[in-house]
Amino acid sequence: MSVTSGNILEVRGLQTQFNTLDGVVRAVDGVSFDLARGETLGIVGESGCGKSVTALSILRLIPPETGRIAGGSIKFEGEELTTLGEEAMKGLRGHRISMIFQEPMTSLNPVLTVGTQIAENVVRHMGVSWRAARERSFEMLDLVRIADARRRLDEYPHQLSGGMRQRVMIALALSCDPQVLIADEPTTALDVTIQAQILDLMLELKEKTGTAIVLITHDLGVIAETTERVVVMYAGRKVEEAPVEALFAEPLHPYTRGLMRAIPRLDIEADAAGMRPRLQEIPGLVPRLTQPIPGCAFAPRCGFATERCRAEPPPLVDAGGGHTVACWEVDRVRASAL
Amino acid sequence: MTAYIVRRLFATLPVMAVVAVFVFFLIRFAPGDPAAIIAGEDATAEAIAQVRAKLGLDRPFMEQFFIWILQMLQGDLGVSIFSNLPVSRLIVQRVEPTVALTLSTLFVAVALAIPIGVVAAWKARRLVDRLVMGFAVLGFAMPVFVLAYILIYFFAVQWQLLPVQGYRPIAEGFWPFVESLILPSVALGVTYMALIARITRASMLEVLAQDYIRTANAKGLATDRVLLLHALKNAAVPIVTVIGIGIALLISGVVITETVFNIPGLGRLTVDAVLKRDYPVVQGLILVFAAAKVLVNLIIDISYAFLDPRIRY
Repeated sequence: MSVTSGNILEVRGLQTQFNTLDGVVRAVDGVSFDLARGETLGIVGESGCGKSVTALSILRLIPPETGRIAGGSIKFEGEELTTLGEEAMKGLRGHRISMIFQEPMTSLNPVLTVGTQIAENVVRHMGVSWRAARERSFEMLDLVRIADARRRLDEYPHQLSGGMRQRVMIALALSCDPQVLIADEPTTALDVTIQAQILDLMLELKEKTGTAIVLITHDLGVIAETTERVVVMYAGRKVEEAPVEALFAEPLHPYTRGLMRAIPRLDIEADAAGMRPRLQEIPGLVPRLTQPIPGCAFAPRCGFATERCRAEPPPLVDAGGGHTVACWEVDRVRASAL
Repeated sequence: MTAYIVRRLFATLPVMAVVAVFVFFLIRFAPGDPAAIIAGEDATAEAIAQVRAKLGLDRPFMEQFFIWILQMLQGDLGVSIFSNLPVSRLIVQRVEPTVALTLSTLFVAVALAIPIGVVAAWKARRLVDRLVMGFAVLGFAMPVFVLAYILIYFFAVQWQLLPVQGYRPIAEGFWPFVESLILPSVALGVTYMALIARITRASMLEVLAQDYIRTANAKGLATDRVLLLHALKNAAVPIVTVIGIGIALLISGVVITETVFNIPGLGRLTVDAVLKRDYPVVQGLILVFAAAKVLVNLIIDISYAFLDPRIRY
């Protein structure tokens, strides 16, 4: 067991790379974070920042034909996962660490009944009979508040709506009482009203079961409402980490600030013409990850960037109160208005 | 489902009618005259005309056609011009070897091709996959008769493991029956197997890239369950379709295979009847082959509904 006892998951210097025709893509480049028992951690960043790859790396579900974990360490309950045998890893997946995916429409198998897809997970990991597993599946569907759960067991995914399918995914993911639930954009593909229901459901079940959650999203609104701590990723690197209140009170990385300025705000008074200030986008594009980036990955898009930013990667520094940030110019950023 | 099956059964009737019309006229427009063959090489024109009148072949096509159709509707496929035996009896006598050969080929090909295709997809772009696909291309390109003679040369002539030719009915013992079928089944089945293996691999590769396979892996399921249940069941519809299409391939292959291996089945009967312009026999045989093909398609269509719950009729 690890000495830093309170954490159920410890990721250190994770590097995940993919081989492409353009060369090696460093999708995750030295990311570290901890997850405490029962905690909800948010990972936020735009598309392609490596947040989903981080999630898949934890479960070791990176397709071996194209990608690999090239370095770093992932410790679950003190046990190193990057070197764990495949059979032992299969024993963890769906049992002690489970995952919900973004697309509920395509994440369930179209030719197997909902009941079978939940029950097979229970049979696999709990060593119970199919009959008992089916009963467990019914309880889980009932728990995620699917009406007429007994009948739904024998239905196929195409007979369910998107929101119901995501409920089924949650029921499936929680069916073996996992210690860690990784939710990769669980609400992105859903209607706004359904999004709120699904998030509430996840948080409520978390209270009941004590499962720690890693919530991956590009939606800062979701982060604000559901998580306790936030990791901000950019171009495969962690650029900032803070308790959620601290992050929203005083974002310290220019990238985080850019994300926040891009959120529509209803609390700012409209002017006489009924107009609110224009949303500000972050100029430029995410850098290509096939070439090593010498300095700060955000420097080409950053208004604060200096020569040093482009030459040397900024280390993560403690800004107090559990708030860390990787920025050479943090003092200037802090002094400027949001 | 029952209503669907009944509807499909009725839908086969127009298909069979079209086949009947087609067969009748095709064979009559083909060159060659059975009367001349029966009358012999030195026969006078008068003698040939006599034979023709006796067989009813001097009547107008349409009249011959309606006589044949009326007889057929009464279950009478007519009488062979040469042997004077009822066509239905000729077919029944020859049906066992052909059914045995077709079914054993179908069974062997499907039983080998699907696992091969699954493994190739699972180990895509690795050595196993390349070997399997190399074999598939070779197998698909190899004509049945060439492969048949190669097999006979090695397994029957050189190593004397299996009989060179001939067919032993199942009534004469199971092992001799199986022995006589091995080489013909392999010769006939290789093309078919290559086809099914290729489509299985392609279909599996597409399915293995789907999100729900990632979900299955995220449950920590055993590899065989992911491959054989989660993936193969989704990949099944195209595979079953090709198995069905391949039956037509088998039927044409049977004619050649039976000739090479000297098996007294429907294929040989067909070749003999065509060469002699034995119209009633050829007509009866083609109808039987067409009916078999229609039946296979019916079974395939019905199987879709069982394989994929999204398909409903």
